[in-house]
Amino acid sequence: MSLLAPIICDNGTGYSKVGFAGNSDPSFVFPTAIATRGSPSQTSRAPTIPSKPGHLASKRGVEDLDFFIGDEALANAKTPGYGVHYPIRHGMIDNWDHMERYWEQTIFKYLRAEPEDHYFLLTEPPLNPPENREQTAEIFFESFNIKGLYIAVQAVLALAASWSSNRVTDRTLTGTVIDSGDGVTHVIPCAEGYVIGSAIKHIPIAGRDISQFVLNLMRERGEMANVPPEDQLKVAGKVKENYSYVCQDIVREFRKYDEEPLKYFERYEGEHSVTGRKYGIDVGYERFLAPEIFFNPEIYSSDFLTPLPEIVDEVIQQSPIDVRRGLYKNIVLSGGSTMFQHFGNRLKRDLKQLVDRRLDASVLASGSSLKSSGVDVDVISHKRQRYAVWFGGSLLASLPEFYTSCHTKAQYDEIGPSICRRYQIFGSAT
Amino acid sequence: MILLESQNYIIQTTLTEKINKPSSLDVQFVDFDGVRFHLSTPERKTSLLLSMHIRCWDELVKYGALDILRREYGVLLLDQAEQEYNVSLDIDLEQIPSDPAAQEAFILSVALFKRNALAAPFERGFKTQKELEASGGAPGELMEIHYRDEEAIYVQASPDRVTVIFSTVFREETDRIFGKVFLQEFVDARRQPSIQNAPQVLYSNRDPPLEIRHLSGLRAADDIGYVTFVLFPRHFLNATVAGSTISHIQLFRDYLHYHIKCSKAYMHSRMRHRVAEFQKVLNRAKTEVATTERKTATGRTLISR
Amino acid sequence: MSNVLRPYLAAVRSTLTAALTLENFASQVVERHNKPEVEAGGSKEVLLNPLTISRNENERVLIEPSVNSIRLSIKIKQADEIERILCHQFTRFMMQRAESFIVLRRKPVQGYDISFLITNTHTETMLKHKIVDFIIQFMEEVDREISEMKLSLNARARIVAESYLTAFNT
Repeated sequence: MSLLAPIICDNGTGYSKVGFAGNSDPSFVFPTAIATRGSPSQTSRAPTIPSKPGHLASKRGVEDLDFFIGDEALANAKTPGYGVHYPIRHGMIDNWDHMERYWEQTIFKYLRAEPEDHYFLLTEPPLNPPENREQTAEIFFESFNIKGLYIAVQAVLALAASWSSNRVTDRTLTGTVIDSGDGVTHVIPCAEGYVIGSAIKHIPIAGRDISQFVLNLMRERGEMANVPPEDQLKVAGKVKENYSYVCQDIVREFRKYDEEPLKYFERYEGEHSVTGRKYGIDVGYERFLAPEIFFNPEIYSSDFLTPLPEIVDEVIQQSPIDVRRGLYKNIVLSGGSTMFQHFGNRLKRDLKQLVDRRLDASVLASGSSLKSSGVDVDVISHKRQRYAVWFGGSLLASLPEFYTSCHTKAQYDEIGPSICRRYQIFGSAT
Repeated sequence: MILLESQNYIIQTTLTEKINKPSSLDVQFVDFDGVRFHLSTPERKTSLLLSMHIRCWDELVKYGALDILRREYGVLLLDQAEQEYNVSLDIDLEQIPSDPAAQEAFILSVALFKRNALAAPFERGFKTQKELEASGGAPGELMEIHYRDEEAIYVQASPDRVTVIFSTVFREETDRIFGKVFLQEFVDARRQPSIQNAPQVLYSNRDPPLEIRHLSGLRAADDIGYVTFVLFPRHFLNATVAGSTISHIQLFRDYLHYHIKCSKAYMHSRMRHRVAEFQKVLNRAKTEVATTERKTATGRTLISR
Repeated sequence: MSNVLRPYLAAVRSTLTAALTLENFASQVVERHNKPEVEAGGSKEVLLNPLTISRNENERVLIEPSVNSIRLSIKIKQADEIERILCHQFTRFMMQRAESFIVLRRKPVQGYDISFLITNTHTETMLKHKIVDFIIQFMEEVDREISEMKLSLNARARIVAESYLTAFNT
């Protein structure tokens, strides 16, 4: 039998990306949300099990099939009797009951795949406890009888995704991953496929904050007066996605805009979602100020003040000395909030400055007798950045080594869930 | 979700999306029973090529699948299928009706590609039954569809009914036992007055039913079972009823396996709950009072075991 | 609790309580080792006579006492194939989480479905009668849970079959 394509499931805190290996985009991207019967405020994690045997509910017994996932879940949020839950918190699975059912419907309703015929590649955040891997394996092997399973760390997949860029010549799994999604931004160093857990840093600035910042700027200028309040954040999000870019020099950029406003100011046309009334707004300085909060956080937040390049530098400096060169040389972007034009160039320039300054200082300190040969700094941007993790998974799962690196059902039955504590790293050319 | 749907969701969503905003595309995906699809835009952004690979294609062609597909899709059906695939449709996005209702109907019909291909033996069976009823001859040809590696569907028309037999294999012990419970209920369910009109269901473990006993290549093992559906003329009275019966019966195996998996998931959540309860009981035995949370200098929680 | 079950559980309870007289006892074989003797089995003289309490041929409890540890294994009632598989699933699921169950053994003793190992450390840090309570409650509820699971499986199968067949009418 010809092997059917492995299924890649990247379940994130906000969105799940699922699809088949070999494709360049996930087949489905929908919120990791599940709407079940019963109120969301119900804190007990227990499923609806009747307390007494012989209770009517146990006779019926299929209430647990009454649920929606993804966009349908949000659409049903207002339906009386349903409550929306988010089974993943901070990247880690929080509610296994919900997650199991979420997967169940993903596979059978959306992917329409027979899990017994497929290999699966799942993703996990860095520093995921091995117990979680075991529980995941338990669900996939015992409930779904899948053929084989591979659990990969998201950051490693993001590194693999960068191989598609033509600037990458050697397929290495050493590098620094900057993963910026909707809620939080992580800087994760990886050495030969293994995450250096002690050096990971998080930045509380991500997509949601940028949208909010754009909204603030436009409100201050009075642009938002025409826009209905409920649409404002959405409009700000659109402006961010469609018009924003990273500038190399703020002062020059401001001057450029002042000299030729007509050339640089853009016009955004919208329509009221309910009444259908048209409105238009001018998009100005926020075009380059929005992503600027990564580089000058003080313009948005008052409690987080370290610019992104400095954080990246700190992360690399905290990593073992023998991998630092590799980490500087291969900085990979992943996630929707790194999609701004010239984001990579700016990061590279700022980081290079930091590194050079330190090298100069050490030359000076040694009395100009020891001279460093310099450190390469390179930031890789590529086309698949938005769903980089998923794409990396798709790439790795299409390699022939994937099947040998997976743990199969037979191995699971032989050894048990603990087999999934370890996975072999594969795919890198070095 | 109790019943599975017949249409392919990926085809449906992708087409809807591409009609509004054509762009180049190249995706591969699957459907139940090892069906593979390839959807691409080889020439222009507005011309989609949808190809399907189905394991039992040769058998389906023998039973008239091409006629059905031609009836459903007309000119869309290409004479020469894409390489590595069995059958291809050429969809020109510019030719699609603009009226929303017609557009939706068109998308749905494309999404039913697999269902229509697999409908051939059933349609032929229904037709043969009509002929036999008039002429009163002996039972018609036994049609075999090996839709999975180890499992097959057999369709045979008789003067008064059409018999559909599924052979089922359970790869795992738990599945086999759960499956047996489910299949037993399928047999018993007809006792309910409300579903007296449903087809009669028979189940036999290990031994193949009479209709197919003469076939070679049947393996007798404990993990194999045979489910027989006896469809009476009322189940294919007219085109609509026959259509829904076909869509429904095709998915029998997937339906069964879906629910076996759901019950295992349900058992898991029950066990999780029960284990948590036991945990509470054991925790009552512990004498020490819970110590206050300890923090490191950076504010992370210290957990000692 | 049903009345038929009560004498059985009472017997287990009193035997277990009596057997739970454990003391800290260092290994006589290896210096500076302190192992549960019932597991190590190195010195015969510290092992006590094992004892089986049977309710019938399918349900029994094996208690193996020793000077510093006691091993209790339970054979759970399994009337048919379904109960057998459910029982197997349940015990495996629980043993998978043995870490948090302190007194639970990761593997059952041969011929039994689930085993507990109670050492002197456990009796020192936990209330002895509460440990006994836990074991008794486990035995009491596990049978019920398995038969409930079986019932719900049957109920589910019926609904599934009915909804499939009902769809033919429409």
